[in-house]
Amino acid sequence: MTTQLQPGVVIHTRAYGDTSLLVELFTREQGRLGAIARGARAARSRMRPLLQPFQPLLLSWRGRGELKTVTEIEATGAPWGLRGDALLSGYYLNELIMRLLPREDPAAAVYGHYVSAIKQLENGTPIEPVMRVFEKRLLDELGVGLVLDRDTTGSPLQSGQLYRYQPESGPGLSQEHGLKISGEALMALQAESLESPEILAEAKGLMRWVLRQHLGERPLRSRAIWRDLKRSAGP
Amino acid sequence: MDALQQLPGIGPRSARRLTYHLLLHDRGGARELAEALQHAVERVGRCEGCRNLSEEALCNLCTSTRRDDSQLCIVESAADVEALESATGYSGRYFVLNGHLSPLDGIGPNELGIELLLQRFRQGSVSEVILATNPTVEGDATADYISGLAVECGLSATRIAHGVPVGGELEYIDSGTLRQAFAGRRSFS
Repeated sequence: MTTQLQPGVVIHTRAYGDTSLLVELFTREQGRLGAIARGARAARSRMRPLLQPFQPLLLSWRGRGELKTVTEIEATGAPWGLRGDALLSGYYLNELIMRLLPREDPAAAVYGHYVSAIKQLENGTPIEPVMRVFEKRLLDELGVGLVLDRDTTGSPLQSGQLYRYQPESGPGLSQEHGLKISGEALMALQAESLESPEILAEAKGLMRWVLRQHLGERPLRSRAIWRDLKRSAGP
Repeated sequence: MDALQQLPGIGPRSARRLTYHLLLHDRGGARELAEALQHAVERVGRCEGCRNLSEEALCNLCTSTRRDDSQLCIVESAADVEALESATGYSGRYFVLNGHLSPLDGIGPNELGIELLLQRFRQGSVSEVILATNPTVEGDATADYISGLAVECGLSATRIAHGVPVGGELEYIDSGTLRQAFAGRRSFS
């Protein structure tokens, strides 16, 4: 079974054997895939320069099993030029895809959101809102989206109210447990219009808390690395 | 045979061939190899100055008095030091990261010895930091990060050029390399 020249990107690579690479692909039509690129690490491999994250590609592969074989690869443009914090954020998005998106589950919408987030990072759009919107959309597409349009009784959310958010039931006014969050922050996240630092901080707290429920015990590595990098760069 | 198969590039067939050769035809060589390996494993560690492989606390390149302290070349692996030593006339010092930033593999500043590198930056003898990490996304990210640290310490940072290989033909070069080579063109006179 061969799939011809589908749009996709490389999420992660790992050395395999002497000259091959194990690549985690994220394709528009077939979602996340594991594949092997034979000979990609050989000295004169034509694939090597292209099999890198943040490079839009057209990919062909064959195979039915868990691990496909990459047969052909073409660039569809210049690599997305991410640097510094934008690049770290790109890695964070890649890790979210790796950890949350099941393999071989078509996710064209997520692919669209991913490309749009990466392009925004490339253009120097402030990072935090881009991350939050991507996280929200990713959870929506995974079928575990946040409840952001009504409280537990079904009434519309109100600004000026402090809600308690619970993953199962959403924001409630009379719940005893759950993460405290303002109506403004929930509504801003719903509208995907996150601007003020306070709202962004609240949205980040909520997203981090919700993501932790889906990611389980193992923390995100890219976030830990980000912290370490900031610490070394400090005074 | 199993022990030999741990080596890169050695499969069951090669392992069998090597084993028979050592045991049937060259027992002396086998002993020599065993002793050399034993010696290397026990004695060779990381240089405290540059993290290169070394038998002593400080490697030859770090202790040599003939080398220029003002230049520090940052590479990803010990093999890169060898490659640069044999190909270039570089006479400064080295620092070996033993990897590159790779957030999804959990490889960050702690794994790359950045603390030690910062000590070198702050000692005051280095003035130019030469970033010779690989031209990959991770290598570039590593170079980017280290150049930031160098600039904070008041040092100049340079990145090795990427471009068309010697004897290459433009037509056959991948678009990424060609793009970089074109963007990085220099005045020619």
